[in-house]
Amino acid sequence: MLNPAAWQQPPRMPYNLPMESTSPRRPSRTLIILVAVAVLAAVLFSIVPGNLFTWLWEQLNLFATVFLGIFVEAVPYLLLGTLASGLVEIFLDREQMARLIPRGSLGSALAGAVLGLVFPVCECGVIPLTRRLFSKGLPLPAGVAFLMAAPVFNPIVIFSTASAFGWGRMLLWRLGLTLVIAVVVGLIFSVEKDAGKVLKMATPILNPNPIQKTSLPFTEKMRRALVIAADEFFEMGRYLIVGAMLAAAMQTFIPQSALLSIGSGPLLSVLVMLALAFVLSICSTVDAFVALGFVGSFSFGSILSFLVFGPMVDIKSIMMYRQVFKPRAVIYLVLLPLLMSLLSGLVFNYLLP
Amino acid sequence: MTPRMYRSFQALLLMALSLFLGLKIINGTLSWYINQRFAPLTFLGIVLLSIMAQAIYRQGKKDADHDHEHDHEHEHSHVSGGNLAFLLIPLAIGVLIPARPLDSTALSTRGFTTSSALVSSGSSTTFFETDAEQRTILDWIKIFNYESDLAPYLGQQAAVIGFVYHDKTLPEGQFYVSRFVVSCCAADGFALAMAVEWPEAASLEQDAWVLVRGPVNSLKTDERTIPIIRAESIEIVPAPDQPYLYP
Repeated sequence: MLNPAAWQQPPRMPYNLPMESTSPRRPSRTLIILVAVAVLAAVLFSIVPGNLFTWLWEQLNLFATVFLGIFVEAVPYLLLGTLASGLVEIFLDREQMARLIPRGSLGSALAGAVLGLVFPVCECGVIPLTRRLFSKGLPLPAGVAFLMAAPVFNPIVIFSTASAFGWGRMLLWRLGLTLVIAVVVGLIFSVEKDAGKVLKMATPILNPNPIQKTSLPFTEKMRRALVIAADEFFEMGRYLIVGAMLAAAMQTFIPQSALLSIGSGPLLSVLVMLALAFVLSICSTVDAFVALGFVGSFSFGSILSFLVFGPMVDIKSIMMYRQVFKPRAVIYLVLLPLLMSLLSGLVFNYLLP
Repeated sequence: MTPRMYRSFQALLLMALSLFLGLKIINGTLSWYINQRFAPLTFLGIVLLSIMAQAIYRQGKKDADHDHEHDHEHEHSHVSGGNLAFLLIPLAIGVLIPARPLDSTALSTRGFTTSSALVSSGSSTTFFETDAEQRTILDWIKIFNYESDLAPYLGQQAAVIGFVYHDKTLPEGQFYVSRFVVSCCAADGFALAMAVEWPEAASLEQDAWVLVRGPVNSLKTDERTIPIIRAESIEIVPAPDQPYLYP
């Protein structure tokens, strides 16, 4: 039977209000920083010549436009991801999960990698959803493979890639390579048997009072899912905002033309495309259209590496990974896809110039 | 901050974000940030945000009632709103910094191109059959990229709208008429430019929107052939509702 007292206290949900222990100092520190920035701005304003200010103002305008571009584009996807996460929390229980996902490392990594076909989420939405699935007992290799593959291996992205490049080899290689890299990274993570050493979650078994699914009216369950989704939106949204600001700042101050003019060699062109995928931080659902702009000036291999690496790692997703994984695991999650995308880009550049 | 206040603050922020996006759609500036094609998605976001705000607000009310009834001591009576305040950042940036589409400032840091392969050639041939005066800067540059035989196009009358960009590499009496092309959001926007020959080029202001009419010719640069308009008339026009072109 339902025990109402067990879940009508919002703070009982440990993942709802995660910042409590450190929070009391936070506002004051923010305030100090704000005051410092204001003072600095005032000092600058009085000493620098006027035209520098127009320049700065224009850069700020540009920064704002790019930042809001990334943010506005990502918000609906993040909302859908958190909503999926909320629904999983309410409607899926651990027993079902255990039945659905194979136990062996390879089996579970493979299952995780194709799970995106069921949950069509992009790189923002996949992170809260993965964490939720972990809390429901998803094995580590499956979760990691899901995290890596789902932003590409899902119906929406398959369709958008196809509409940009056609149902051809770019699509096939993108899907194939993503799958391979995701499974390999998943297998590497399967070496670590103790998920607690990899995941940041305070309690991998999050919910001490699992919600009895049958005893609630449907609308009430939906409302619970929405509350969970909103809490998660705030939590992940912070990292999206910080990541989008970083990406916008880098784009404002590092000329893209400089990056593009660096290289056309087999190695440099791949490195440039990987760097671009990292800096641009655009959503995997639409990155194929962006990649299209580089056809002609970049080789097949380097564009492929852009399409494979970007959805796995970029500035904003690193920010969000840090919320789910311990720092060491985040380093693996960045370096492994980076090296493998680089390698595959090189192979293509040398074999199919 | 009590849990009740925390919930209300959350609901308020979600509503504010929803309202902010809604206003962007209403006043038409949404397309300054993202490709119009994704506007329905933003609309979905607005709906989700307001539903969530409502659910959160009701949750706060419920918690409060519950606490009151049972009068039990709750260990989390003080939660911080600090981690919520992050959502104020995009709102503040959106409200305090005047909205402006990508313009020549972005062009000078991001660079521009006079020839680019933008759309797989197979899908774009139909564009070339359009009336010459209907073609955008993007269409013209596509033609120069994909057509092996440019002869039928040379001398055709162009009428393109774009903003003025003066570049130091151009000789006197020429300027670029430019448009940003956005596939996804402003983050991937880049400028396309067509050279224009116009004796009084210097008198045109940077970033001014102009309608350029005149025959299109080809200009051989180091390795490519790019279009150049020998302008017959230049009209100052208001900025278009859609500042960007979508490939």
